[in-house]
Amino acid sequence: MKDPSLKYRWLLLGTSLLTIGYLVAAAVRENFLAEWYHIQKDYQRILQARATDERGRAIARDFRVELKQVSVPALKTVDRCVSCHNGIDDPRMTDVALPHAVHPGDILKNHPADRFGCTVCHQGQGPAATFRDAKGEDAFWDYPLLDRNLVESSCLACHDVEKLPPAEVALVVEGRKLYEEKSCGSCHKLGGRGGSLGPSLDNEGAKTKHQLILTNLSPPHTTWSWHQAHFRDPAGIVPASQMKNPALSEPQVLALTVYMLAQRQRDVPESYLSPDKLEEKVRRLHPVPLSGEQVYHQFCLACHGEGTYGRWDKTFKRFVPAIRGISLQATADRVYLETQIKLGRPGTQMPAWGRQAGGLLPEEINAVLDYIQPAASRIAAGPASLASVVVPRGDSIRGGALFTSYCSSCHGPA
Amino acid sequence: MSTATTPVPPSAIQEFLHNLRRLPHTVKDAWFRLGHTPESEREESQATFHNLFLHIHSVRVHMRSLAPTFTLGLGIISAASFVILCITGVLLMVYYKPSTTLAYDSIKDLHFVVFTGRFMRNIHRWSAHVMVAAVFLHMARVFYTGSYKKPREFNWLVGLGLLVMTLALSFTGYLLPYDQLAYWAITIGSNIANSPRELTDALGITKWFDPGGFQRRLLLGANFVGEDALIRFYVLHVFILPAALITLLGVHFWRIRKDGGLARPEGPMGGVAEWGGEMKRVFEPLGTKTYGLMALVKGRRATVNRGPEDTVMSWPHLFWAELAVFMVTVVLTLILAFHFDAPLKELANPAVPENPAKAPWYFLGLQELVSYSAFVGGLMIPAIAWIGLALIPFLDQRTGGEGTWFGSPGERPVALESLFVGLAAVVGMLAFTVNYGWLRNWYPHIHQLWIIAINPGSILVLLYMIWSLWVLRRSNSIRHAAVALFTCFLVGFTVLTYFATVHRGPNWLFYWWPSQWPVH
Amino acid sequence: MPELNEKQKSRLEPAAIRRRSFLSVAALTSFFSAAGMALAGALRLPGPAVLPGPVRRFKVGHPEEFAVGSETRVEEANFTVFRDVQGVYAISSVCTHLGCTVARSADGFACPCHGSRFAKNGEVVRGPAPRSLPWLEVGRAADGQLVVYADNEVPEGTRFRV
Repeated sequence: MKDPSLKYRWLLLGTSLLTIGYLVAAAVRENFLAEWYHIQKDYQRILQARATDERGRAIARDFRVELKQVSVPALKTVDRCVSCHNGIDDPRMTDVALPHAVHPGDILKNHPADRFGCTVCHQGQGPAATFRDAKGEDAFWDYPLLDRNLVESSCLACHDVEKLPPAEVALVVEGRKLYEEKSCGSCHKLGGRGGSLGPSLDNEGAKTKHQLILTNLSPPHTTWSWHQAHFRDPAGIVPASQMKNPALSEPQVLALTVYMLAQRQRDVPESYLSPDKLEEKVRRLHPVPLSGEQVYHQFCLACHGEGTYGRWDKTFKRFVPAIRGISLQATADRVYLETQIKLGRPGTQMPAWGRQAGGLLPEEINAVLDYIQPAASRIAAGPASLASVVVPRGDSIRGGALFTSYCSSCHGPA
Repeated sequence: MSTATTPVPPSAIQEFLHNLRRLPHTVKDAWFRLGHTPESEREESQATFHNLFLHIHSVRVHMRSLAPTFTLGLGIISAASFVILCITGVLLMVYYKPSTTLAYDSIKDLHFVVFTGRFMRNIHRWSAHVMVAAVFLHMARVFYTGSYKKPREFNWLVGLGLLVMTLALSFTGYLLPYDQLAYWAITIGSNIANSPRELTDALGITKWFDPGGFQRRLLLGANFVGEDALIRFYVLHVFILPAALITLLGVHFWRIRKDGGLARPEGPMGGVAEWGGEMKRVFEPLGTKTYGLMALVKGRRATVNRGPEDTVMSWPHLFWAELAVFMVTVVLTLILAFHFDAPLKELANPAVPENPAKAPWYFLGLQELVSYSAFVGGLMIPAIAWIGLALIPFLDQRTGGEGTWFGSPGERPVALESLFVGLAAVVGMLAFTVNYGWLRNWYPHIHQLWIIAINPGSILVLLYMIWSLWVLRRSNSIRHAAVALFTCFLVGFTVLTYFATVHRGPNWLFYWWPSQWPVH
Repeated sequence: MPELNEKQKSRLEPAAIRRRSFLSVAALTSFFSAAGMALAGALRLPGPAVLPGPVRRFKVGHPEEFAVGSETRVEEANFTVFRDVQGVYAISSVCTHLGCTVARSADGFACPCHGSRFAKNGEVVRGPAPRSLPWLEVGRAADGQLVVYADNEVPEGTRFRV
């Protein structure tokens, strides 16, 4: 009878050879096609070319081609960036291309990679062993590699921005200035102080892209590209947003984005915090009261403008009163104004600003009241008797229209 | 007197050196009883039954058992996948750390850093999928070839136990990477375990009788998916379930042997012999067995070294076949593992739910049914299906037709008809629910008991049962009715799995293609 | 007895044993090679590709910061850096008895736990400690700083010349 297992022997031969083929291919792919391997080989050649003195020769001799990592358990991170970025602390590597080049600036003097790792400042997927995976962009990684100009947002994890050299954190400083100038606090809370119309921004930098609305954002989908797009056109990114377009130039957009990324409550061990950071935390609990003008500019400007004229707000579909208008200044009752500010006006976009709700200190509320309604502008009292008042003659219909336009937001319908 | 001189006995030292020199030979002779490849059928049979691992096989095997189209090697593929899973699993255990803070990073390490780690993890993942698919197909093969009939009923039950073990192993393994995929899939799974609550709440008896809550707490060790759940799943996955599965597998293989090997059509064993001008039976027909443990030989002549016709020696033919199928499984898994990475999403984040949060593919059909009613889809229908499967060999007692596909007359047309009926029913049901919704859409305040009683899943099962009963009456054959019901369930399961994979998107809404899913 | 025909005869003869064919040898060889390769790969897995844990390599500063005759204690890494005319060296502050941190005493080091005493060069003078305090390897990093490799011991007296 013919051989009953002939076909199985052929099958065994074929599948075994195919198996061997795939095993060899896998071994080659892992050992000889690894990105880091070739990069380290290149670096070894560079080291040997630069071995001009005894120290250089020792470094070239001791360089081993192997996977390298920096393990920082305190920061819960293992960073393998150093498998490709071999020259970050070699001052001779100024004229070579990335990834061999030395780390720019002198930041590694105070932040040695051995103690800090890399991702605590640069983000990215530290455990990765290829560049594409390390970037973590449009991948299943919560915090992709930051663009070069955004890295300073990480400084605030450990430092008080006011104590850093301004040149190092120019964008963060600029961003904070813009935040106050553009009166973002009118609608957003930071550190418990601000309006309630928009979301609180205390942990904005910790958000992942899944916590943002990406429908109208074109790729790449990163949190910073979202913020930049949002600053350029708020309602375009967030449908039905009530946020006004802050009319920023591109550098300003970048600065504010960096400032937003810096708003992140990180779990950094105390040994890594700089001492001024702890002072900053204490300062936050006991803020120095702002002046009336500062309060007005940071928390009222966005909706009320200069406040001298009322305006119709398209997004609110309401009339926003002139809180520094001459009429109000002359006649408004101070207690009435204080209540409006402290408790807000339910049913309108005016939020409460008292200590619990809006974070303003009683001194600040007093200060802003003085700013809105300087003592000199108040009329002391009305006329002694009405007999001397001359009743004007006028067009009551036009008056009614004017009333509806300018007065009804505070005084009710005509 | 002999002139040959008696040899002088060597000294002890010479004897010692002589033994030392012959060490390779003596060790080899002690280890391998035969010492050389078999040179006769007797030696071939010894090679089989003297070997610890091989003696589970019979010494001779029927030629039909070697035919690839009969079993498609599915049983071996399942077992081979399991072996691959055990080996790669133990290797992965060297690096995997079962802690919510360490698990994800250990998987990343395996992928990026560990030597062969990426490959091993991929192999492990894909062979798990291959195993689940293979066991389902194996069950279908056994059913359609009627190989559950007497004397193989108990082995069918053992096989059903193995099916549950396999699914449980895959499910427990799913949580271990502790990424978004794992976390939310197991959140759903544990809530399905909690689904008896739906019934007990509707009846108002939860306070006294809460099997749902009990199951969920047993699985999770807490009220949420966290460290305790991970450790329990780990222990189940690496020890308890593999031990149980290996035990059942041992019983399964032993029963195959006891029940006489693979099923074959009934009839005389091989041919008859011509003897004195007449055709005479050479051996007693052995029913549907491919061999008996012992065979009495009839005939005028003792036939030594001869066996029943149409059988071949297991060594080497059966073992070539098994080895070949094993390597087919290996190569298939290697190809998948080389070209496709096992998925891994972001670290598990309870604050950011996956949308849609999908169970592993073999549970997606159930998840579709669960979307109508958690209790019915998650517990009632699987229980009914499993019990139904278990009852098949005991309800279908008529012998005949086993050992070939669609063995009894009229089976194949019934299967084809049921394919269409099953397809029409499930597609119709899906089309209806997608377009019109169900009870809760029309009557928002309806009592949950109504939904448990009348929901797309239970209606589908009812339709299938009605069809099966109709076939029973029409063809007067329980086997035909079983074929009808099994085929309907198979089709329904496949279509529901496909539907939930491709056509369900965020918020479990219907989409034609994943590319249409809205970016959140 | 009737004569048997060929067919009947053949049934009574033992079947010939297949000779080992090239195909069988090839199939088995390739199978075992594949299995062997897979085993080799699998056995490679437990060997760590990178050693986990923080590398105990500490940059302590530039050589100019260490005057001749100075000693600088490095708290976090538990060693002291010395410099004399011959060069720079580092001595571990981990007591060789049971691992307590030794304190600097008038003429060397003293361990507060069980009373071991060491000389200024680490030599064990007294106490349950079985051996001297190890000297640690000192080197120079690419940026010029001195580096102490706290996991590498060097023979006593080894100095790093600067």
